[in-house]
Amino acid sequence: MVGQEIMAILGPSGCGKTMTLKCIAGLMTPDRGRIVLNEQVLFDSQQGINLPARQRKIGFLFQNYALFPHLTVHDNIAFGIRQLPATERNERVQQLLGKMRLDHFGHRYPVELSGGQQQRVALARALAPEPEVLLLDEPFSALDTQVKERLEAELLEIQSDFQGHVLFVTHNLAEAYRLSSKMAVYETGGLLQWGERQTIIERPANEKVARLTGMENIFDGIVSGIEGSRVDIGLGTGYLSLYPDNLNRLVVNQEISVAIRPEYVKLADSREENCLTAELIDGKEELSFYSYTFQFQEETNIKVHISKSAGPRLVAGKTYRLCLPSENLVIIGG
Amino acid sequence: MAVMDLNPLWISLKTALVATAITFILGIIIARWMAGREFKGKSLLDGIFILPLVLPPTVVGFILLWILGRNGWLGSLFFEIGRPVVFSWSATVIAAAVVSFPLMYQTARGAFEQIDANIEDAARTLGASEWTIFWRVTIPMAWPGIAAGTILAFARSLGEFGATLMLAGNIPGRTQTIPVAIYFLVEGGRQQQAVIWVLVILLISLASIVALNYWKKYQRRFSSHPVREVTADS
Repeated sequence: MVGQEIMAILGPSGCGKTMTLKCIAGLMTPDRGRIVLNEQVLFDSQQGINLPARQRKIGFLFQNYALFPHLTVHDNIAFGIRQLPATERNERVQQLLGKMRLDHFGHRYPVELSGGQQQRVALARALAPEPEVLLLDEPFSALDTQVKERLEAELLEIQSDFQGHVLFVTHNLAEAYRLSSKMAVYETGGLLQWGERQTIIERPANEKVARLTGMENIFDGIVSGIEGSRVDIGLGTGYLSLYPDNLNRLVVNQEISVAIRPEYVKLADSREENCLTAELIDGKEELSFYSYTFQFQEETNIKVHISKSAGPRLVAGKTYRLCLPSENLVIIGG
Repeated sequence: MAVMDLNPLWISLKTALVATAITFILGIIIARWMAGREFKGKSLLDGIFILPLVLPPTVVGFILLWILGRNGWLGSLFFEIGRPVVFSWSATVIAAAVVSFPLMYQTARGAFEQIDANIEDAARTLGASEWTIFWRVTIPMAWPGIAAGTILAFARSLGEFGATLMLAGNIPGRTQTIPVAIYFLVEGGRQQQAVIWVLVILLISLASIVALNYWKKYQRRFSSHPVREVTADS
């Protein structure tokens, strides 16, 4: 990570995201590897370096906040800066209380606060020693929507003040996307892909990443032809055309997977390209859109999301003409 | 009625206080050490620490004699230097400490294990050394449990009889604690005097338990976990 960035670590529950965070913080020791922060080596299995947590300049926000129940809000926040002289320490605590909209809460105890307030105290506590990186473990999972939105806004605000990197762990794709500039996608046991947010979203490295980032329609096919900037991909009975930026690594007869998000599949209009006929086999009503499942070949389904404002609900059992706009098709591993 | 010999009271109090101080320190250290770890034989070790709680006091007494008696492997050393353990006041303390240790250890360990590991980890990320964490986080959070264990240990020390009799004997003015005194007074037909001591013990024990429960209610305002109640199986 360079400069001040927010990176999201995305992955399903139990896949090691929290462990990664704890290893960075020094609360867990990896078997092998190297961890470097701002040019300081925190851990190196080969060289036998393993800096204890207290010597790493890291702020950690635990999923359950982990506030000290026997200390006041003020003392919780001041815990990491006890070595500062009293005036400076109190000043910083007051500043943080202000930023977190917790003025006048200094003398209260954690048990007297709401979940959202406790989290803000935990955040203030982590920021007080001015760490070089802030680690957040599933910061939004325990909150209701309103509180979540406020916290997200606060986080973005803090981030503009905060001089260091921010790394947060989540299993929610939407959150990861909204708040980060870089993403790392994890699955049980390992890192699948990391990089700029847009790269992950638009150019997933493999099928697992594609699925984890919400691409539910993944088709396996063969490159049947390359003409100019257009690539044709044969899928069973039909073919799809797309215009990728980078044609260099594509060869005719190569096996390839393409994907498209459910939101981008359209009911046929005047388009000719990439259209197919499919039967609607299932439909679910969500809050503001319909989630349809179409079948267009033996065992090949397409998931389509159509906003309610686009028209009335489609009828199960009928066939419809669907189009997959080439600009929204993504090559997996491309 | 002749002026009653008040020695049992002083001896019992001294014994109980010293024994409790010993189990307090040892209990906390060992409980903290055991609370964090997983290792082979942990259950066995844990069992040994709890054993005096479930063994009949006479068995405990026998084992203590075997170790500290005149011919015992530790006792003989003391005998050599002219300070035998058996029938000394120290023996009352040892007997009391051994039987009350499990109570302190178990309660303290429960208190330590209830502490959310994340909280101690949080302290680490905030730059605290293990020592600081122990004094500023672990102990304050475990305090209700520790206080409970201490009072239970004190009450148990006060009430120790079987092992005390075997190791320390019934020497008035030296090792005759209140429970021992009660036994011999009843044996000797002096019920009235026995009743007085019985009331003394009842009062002290009851006061301890009440103080304990009151203290725990007061401490409860800090923690989000319910504090363990004093029950027969604590």
